[in-house]
Amino acid sequence: MIKYGLPLFAALALTFAVVKIVRSQPVHAKLTPPAAPPSAVYTSQVGAVGLAEAESENIAISLPVPGLVTRVDVKAGDHVRKGARLFSLDDRDLQAELALRQSSLALSESRFGKLAMSPRPEDLPPAEAKVRESEQLYQDAAVQLNLIESVRDKRAIRDEDLQRRRLAVKAAEARLDGAKAELALLKAGTWKPDLDVARAEVEEAHRQVERVEADLARLVVTAPIDGEILQCKVHPGEYAQAGPLAQPLILMGATARLNVRADIDEQDAWRVKSGAIATGTVRGNSGERLPLHFVRVEPYVIPKRNLTGDSTERVDTRVLQVIFALDRGARVYAGQQLDVFIDAGGQK
Amino acid sequence: MNFVAVQMLIGDRAKYLGLIFAVAFSTFLMSHQSTIFAGIMDRTTSQIKDVQDANIWVMDQKTQYFDEVKALTDDDVYRVRSVPGVEWAVPLFKGLPRAKAFDGNFRVVIMMGVDDASLVGAPRDMVLGSPEDLRKPDSVLVDRVGYEFFFPQQPYVLGKTLELNDRRVTIQGIFNSSAPFQNLPIFYARYSNAMTYVGRERNLLSFVLAKAQPGLSDDELCRRIDAATGLHAATGKQFGWQTIRYYIAHTGIPVNFGITIAIALVVGTIVAGQTFYIFTLENLKQFGALKAIGVTNWRITGMILLQALMVGLIGYSIGIAMTAAFFEITKGNLDLRGFVLFWQIAAGTGAVVLFIVMAASLMSIRRVLVLEPAVVFRG
Repeated sequence: MIKYGLPLFAALALTFAVVKIVRSQPVHAKLTPPAAPPSAVYTSQVGAVGLAEAESENIAISLPVPGLVTRVDVKAGDHVRKGARLFSLDDRDLQAELALRQSSLALSESRFGKLAMSPRPEDLPPAEAKVRESEQLYQDAAVQLNLIESVRDKRAIRDEDLQRRRLAVKAAEARLDGAKAELALLKAGTWKPDLDVARAEVEEAHRQVERVEADLARLVVTAPIDGEILQCKVHPGEYAQAGPLAQPLILMGATARLNVRADIDEQDAWRVKSGAIATGTVRGNSGERLPLHFVRVEPYVIPKRNLTGDSTERVDTRVLQVIFALDRGARVYAGQQLDVFIDAGGQK
Repeated sequence: MNFVAVQMLIGDRAKYLGLIFAVAFSTFLMSHQSTIFAGIMDRTTSQIKDVQDANIWVMDQKTQYFDEVKALTDDDVYRVRSVPGVEWAVPLFKGLPRAKAFDGNFRVVIMMGVDDASLVGAPRDMVLGSPEDLRKPDSVLVDRVGYEFFFPQQPYVLGKTLELNDRRVTIQGIFNSSAPFQNLPIFYARYSNAMTYVGRERNLLSFVLAKAQPGLSDDELCRRIDAATGLHAATGKQFGWQTIRYYIAHTGIPVNFGITIAIALVVGTIVAGQTFYIFTLENLKQFGALKAIGVTNWRITGMILLQALMVGLIGYSIGIAMTAAFFEITKGNLDLRGFVLFWQIAAGTGAVVLFIVMAASLMSIRRVLVLEPAVVFRG
């Protein structure tokens, strides 16, 4: 038993141990990633993160005046022509003001018209009659004076009467002159400076109306370029703030062709030369390499924008931005991130 | 003559068995303790080894080991990509958020965030679900330890929810992980999500994982990345050893196990040596008779060494089988997983056992060699 059993048992035990040891050794097989990561394209290259944007850059439509939105004429994805109406603000108070201004324009116009049309024809006959009356009165006074003067014997008349009649003639003459002058004044119509003032008043009323109309026009927001509405975050009934906003009311841009804005760490910036070719892949589809064509380098190196975008973040890196153009019809959306590889060939 | 030696050995049943037991238990103790030690050290590198699809880890230059990392900036991924010879590079996040179950149970977990697009580093040894399920919204993969902690005695089903940093997450997969040092649950999420599950920190990129272009060695690429970026690049193996060295240098674990292994070695040697010595002394007469009939000293030395080898082999076989059986039994236990009897340990123990039996036999050989054959007949 001891003689053969124990060695046999030991042999079995050893076999068991060897088998278990061989079987239990950890295997660290090298696997391939679940989805292929974007892989190197050029022998010498600079990696960067890129953001697709409209060829015109993305335009955040802003307002010159705040107000209540009453009407939105576009939705995201619409293609609009330059000058097309995007949305309108509440204009009721300005419409009321316009009516007011228009009525004061009408008032000043009619005031001017009245002045321009004087004399009123009906005013002339009484004045002419007055002249004639004055003339007759003058004639009468002249006749009276003549009668008394034709008396040869001066003693027959009182000196007082003579004097009175002479003066009566002069007075009648003056009255006639006065009536004639009044008629002339009436016939001459409005004095020119008065007319000028009235004309200026009309002009001013015109400008007032135009100003209100301009204010009204500002309440209608129109497309500044031909392009596509990328984002429409404004709805009827909302109060739209003026000036630049964190969340633009409407984001639009010319998207017939997209550009890619690549952020390059400042430490690698020196390796990128103007005119470099590049390749980009969208996240999740690293198999399709999209050719990128150099457009320009943004000459100013800016602080890196962090993913979290927190305002308390301190800046530790700055990035050089290089703009590349995607091919027309590339299956990329504006705002999509791309992994960009820029050829740095020839530099080492 | 060899037959005589074997007969001589097994003739004394008590000492024969005593010798074998001494060797067997010494073997068991040494290999078992070494395995536990190696297993604990190995655990510190579990998360490094579990990344099976990237070879190169890029980290801050001052990083000592895996569990303490200083975050890099997001741009560093692109800087690594810019190094000539890098086939690809992706970010990897590691953090320690607190996960809460809706019944109030909570635990700190190891949160790994893998690149959103490629999922490089995601676990592959899935029990339920697939790595691709990480793409679902608010999806996390949890290891079995985590699942069984939060949902004890419940069958594995997907779709259960937990809370991480006030965010609700859905378990979309359960996987087998290599046990981490502290046996914390391990969660995987996409990089962009994982960052929201820990508190606010400015930089969150823990590691960059990279792969060398075909034809370029990993070591050469590590050198290039070091030179080009000023960061530290290491292969997974180097990083693992770096982590192990940290634990060996900064914890009492190696001292503890070292003492146990040394005692096993000393006790094994002494017990086996003493028994063998007594055994040889008792058989001096037989050796004397052999010498008298003209057997050379060389031949007798060979006989003694054969006896020693036989004892050693049988004892070692039984001892190592005991160790293998122990780890076979504990294999299924979640908390003891990852302890593996490495072949290096088995071989090393074998060498030490060989040394023990050789040393034990050599102690007694001297007596036989100086033996006068006449002694036998003196009565």
